[in-house]
Amino acid sequence: MNLSGYRKKSPWILHYNAGSCNGCDIEILACLGPKYDIERFGMINTGNPKQSDILLVTGPVTKRSRERLVEIYAQMPEPKVVIACGACASTGGVFRGMYNCEGGVDQYIPVDVYVCGCGTRPEQIIDGVVQGLAILEQKTKELEASVKLNNEAIEENHQVNRRHIAASIK
Amino acid sequence: MESYLSGLFFLPLLVSLLLLILPKNLVKPLVIVAAVALSAMSVIAFSNISGAQYITAPDYTNNIVFGLDVLLLCFFGWVAIQRKSLWVGILSVVQLAGLIYLFFNLSHTQSAQLMVDELSGFMFILINVISSIIAIFSLKYIEQEDCSPFRRKYFLSIIFWFIAAMNLVVSADNLEYFFLFFELTTLASYLLISFRKDEVSEKNAVTALWMNQIGGVALLSAIFYIHLNQLGDITFTNLLSNTGQQAILLPLAFISIAALIKGAQMPFSKWLLGAMVAPTPVSALLHSSTMVKIAPFVILRLSPALKDTSLSMVIIGLTAFVFVAAALGALAQDNFKRILAHSTIALLALMIMMAALGTPTTTIAALVLILFHGISKSMLFLNAGILEKVFHMKETSDMDRLSETGPFTAMVMIIGFMSLLLPPFGAFIGKWLSIETLGSFAIESKLLGALTIVAVAFGGAILTLLYFKVIGVLINRSGETDKISFEKTGMIYRATMYMLLGIITFSIFGLPWLLTQYFSPVSEATLQQAATVTSEGWNMLIGSVSLPIVPLAIAFLMLPATLLTAMFIRFKNVDRAKEYMCGEKVNYSFGSFYFSTEVATPWFYSIGIAFFLAMLMVSLL
Amino acid sequence: MTNMYISIILIIAAPLIGGLLYGFERIVKARMQRRIGPPLLQPFYDFFKLADKRKMVVHSAHAFLGIMHFISLWFALAVLLLGGDLILVIFLHLLSSALLILSAYSTRSVFSHLGANRSAISILAYEPVLIIIAVSIFMLTGSFEAGAAFSSNQPLLYKMPLAFVALLLVLPIKLKKSPFDVAEAHQEVTGGVELEFSGIFYEAVYTAKWLDYVFCYTLIFLFAGSNLLLGFALSIFTFIYLNALDNSTARVNYKQMLRFSLGVSFSLAFINLLINSLS
Repeated sequence: MNLSGYRKKSPWILHYNAGSCNGCDIEILACLGPKYDIERFGMINTGNPKQSDILLVTGPVTKRSRERLVEIYAQMPEPKVVIACGACASTGGVFRGMYNCEGGVDQYIPVDVYVCGCGTRPEQIIDGVVQGLAILEQKTKELEASVKLNNEAIEENHQVNRRHIAASIK
Repeated sequence: MESYLSGLFFLPLLVSLLLLILPKNLVKPLVIVAAVALSAMSVIAFSNISGAQYITAPDYTNNIVFGLDVLLLCFFGWVAIQRKSLWVGILSVVQLAGLIYLFFNLSHTQSAQLMVDELSGFMFILINVISSIIAIFSLKYIEQEDCSPFRRKYFLSIIFWFIAAMNLVVSADNLEYFFLFFELTTLASYLLISFRKDEVSEKNAVTALWMNQIGGVALLSAIFYIHLNQLGDITFTNLLSNTGQQAILLPLAFISIAALIKGAQMPFSKWLLGAMVAPTPVSALLHSSTMVKIAPFVILRLSPALKDTSLSMVIIGLTAFVFVAAALGALAQDNFKRILAHSTIALLALMIMMAALGTPTTTIAALVLILFHGISKSMLFLNAGILEKVFHMKETSDMDRLSETGPFTAMVMIIGFMSLLLPPFGAFIGKWLSIETLGSFAIESKLLGALTIVAVAFGGAILTLLYFKVIGVLINRSGETDKISFEKTGMIYRATMYMLLGIITFSIFGLPWLLTQYFSPVSEATLQQAATVTSEGWNMLIGSVSLPIVPLAIAFLMLPATLLTAMFIRFKNVDRAKEYMCGEKVNYSFGSFYFSTEVATPWFYSIGIAFFLAMLMVSLL
Repeated sequence: MTNMYISIILIIAAPLIGGLLYGFERIVKARMQRRIGPPLLQPFYDFFKLADKRKMVVHSAHAFLGIMHFISLWFALAVLLLGGDLILVIFLHLLSSALLILSAYSTRSVFSHLGANRSAISILAYEPVLIIIAVSIFMLTGSFEAGAAFSSNQPLLYKMPLAFVALLLVLPIKLKKSPFDVAEAHQEVTGGVELEFSGIFYEAVYTAKWLDYVFCYTLIFLFAGSNLLLGFALSIFTFIYLNALDNSTARVNYKQMLRFSLGVSFSLAFINLLINSLS
């Protein structure tokens, strides 16, 4: 039975703030409110990587948050989609080149959709998620790896040990 | 029957003497042979009992009993002087004076001193089988104890004469004999608790001594009352034959008080909690098969006379209260042995309550609880011993890695905890039967019945919470490895665990058979009233309560099967991911929740004392 | 005999009914917040999507206990719908909740442990009340069987209204609704006991929630006796009450919950028991 069609009917979202100024976060929360009500698309803000399909990252990757970002990404079961929300998450934005920032999210994890704006408008976020859903439908269940800080998963006893695929920074 | 009884008494006595004399290498085979012989003998004895059989001891035994009593009390007096304990001294002197008066004034022409019926046989099996296993376990445990070789033998020797004394406690009919063996068990517990000879042990042993001596005084008071009011023989049989008379209520109250003290009901729970300082097999012995089980036994023995009296109402009230209070106390503990001790007190309260209710169904419930509690408590305490000696753990909060370092021990402990109160095990049946019978009881006796139900429901919920809390610690593991390999703990440890596991498995699968062939006849003989266990269609009728067989059987298999499968099951073609901790990579240590009962404990004790006084009051009025 | 068939159909369809109920509830809840809300079949979309994810566990024991939670809950529901012994039903329900709690304890996950501790406390909050209600039913019908309550001609509601109120007060704890949703508390402990489940293993826990709905509304039906109309009226009332409560209250902490439940709900149930035993 092909169940991949249902992916787009119930995308569960994990929202991670990698060092944002909170502007984009407020817009994401606005999406949940009565005006935009993304729950009508079946979206839930779960706050739990293990049950989510879409990782919504806001803010530039700061040096404090990069390991956590990769760790959370590694804990999401495939298929999964990453959406970089806002200018900072896409490129580093106004924080680009600062001593404590690393620029865009795509330096660490593969990003599928970039949403522009500082901060992004709720309509843009919804639009980005809808584009992400189209990508989600195409994805396979193969193990996905982060760009940096990646260890190979170990296969043992018919199980894949992915506990340590998010490597630490030496 | 006489031969069985003398066997059950003299064999352990002989073994305990031999243990002191024989060289070290003979100790092990002797204990094992004696254990097997005792267990076999108790089972054969039970199967040969039909109806109450009275055994008359020769005349000179009266003098021996008196002599032993005096010696015993003199020893207690000596302890009082040595430990400078005023309480022990006063109580010993009071008892000694009473005893001497009685010896010269009481006519010794009664018919029989000993009586063996189905209930005694039931207790024989519990005492001998479980204590034997504990004795075998002690062989290894005591080797790892830091003490001289002679004291090791001495320890085993006490265990055996303790068994001998217990065997006669449950078959004494004459109250004077009962008094002697009652005091002998007190002595044994004193010696065992003070075995480690440090300050705390001595202090707790003295506490245990004086508390139990109050029981002795209560027993003597009962004898006095019967003697002075000329109510006939000072035997249980006589008391039971006078059922319904107001006059026997006071001696009944005295005997019940003695029993409840042995059963460590509040406020006398302190001695049992203090007994924790002794080597762990002692706790196993005191909590599971001997000492505390005197309480439900005596109440069961008296239940035909107690039934529907004001006295039994007070006992039910007390036990209902203790059930909740002790369960709360258990939830406040972190030390593994203390958790077990509090839950023993709670479950004892439940057993005594069931016994005091005195209907066929509750009697069966009490018996089921006594047996299963004996098995699982001994299993858990022996495991506490293994934890202490092999894994060096005492607190539950240290055990959160146990299922990785010691999966076998963890598994056995999970089974032990499940068997305490949860389905599928007998204790669950006990609890269930109690709630269903209490429903009828509440219709009859309104307020007390309703309160009792509340207590059982509430206490049961607390205990369940407690067990799941501890089981939760025991199954906790990280996902680093999915493999499981059993640890090595030693031959004797492993063997005793297998024996207890075997008994538990047998009792689960044989429960329908046990109910009809084992519990029902015993309850019938105890109450002199038929306790029918029949099956009707898809229901099993126990007295007035009907249990649905099919859902029960499925529920029976579900919990243990689930937890055991969970230990061994390995899914294929899955990923193992890390636990979610907001992306942090920190190793946490895990605690649990505790209820604080420090403020409440003095209140609990006061209420307990009030109940004990009420027992005397209602019997006087 | 027809009753039997109806029960069996209900048992088999229980996850379906529960799923629809949950979907409908999400809509009602959204409308109460002036939102449109997801489609009615949303729970089933979630269901199929979860089946499609890559399988991931913390360790096998954890995932297995989650599945067994679902199975044992279904079994408890089956016994209830077939009119089985109420005490047994309550124990079975306790067992199934306990399996979920144990699964959470079996991991070394902080939030799971927090959730498990809270769930264990909430069991303490509602279980005694349920047992007292069962005993009250026994006093009125003379039997612990749920079947006796279902077939009684006079609805139990008229004789034990206080017990019904007590049940209404503990249902939010059982269904993890605000203000008594400490056990789940998505914003605090991100779901608590269900946190570490994912994909097809989460499905078991997710579906078990639907079964819990059916279980609770069946308990409501106990009070209506053989009067089906009253049963539906009570259910609708309970449904609206639960959602209104969920939307209008803030979460209390576990101490307040325990205090309220044992102080108010338990006392109500107990007074009801006393009245029943005296009359």
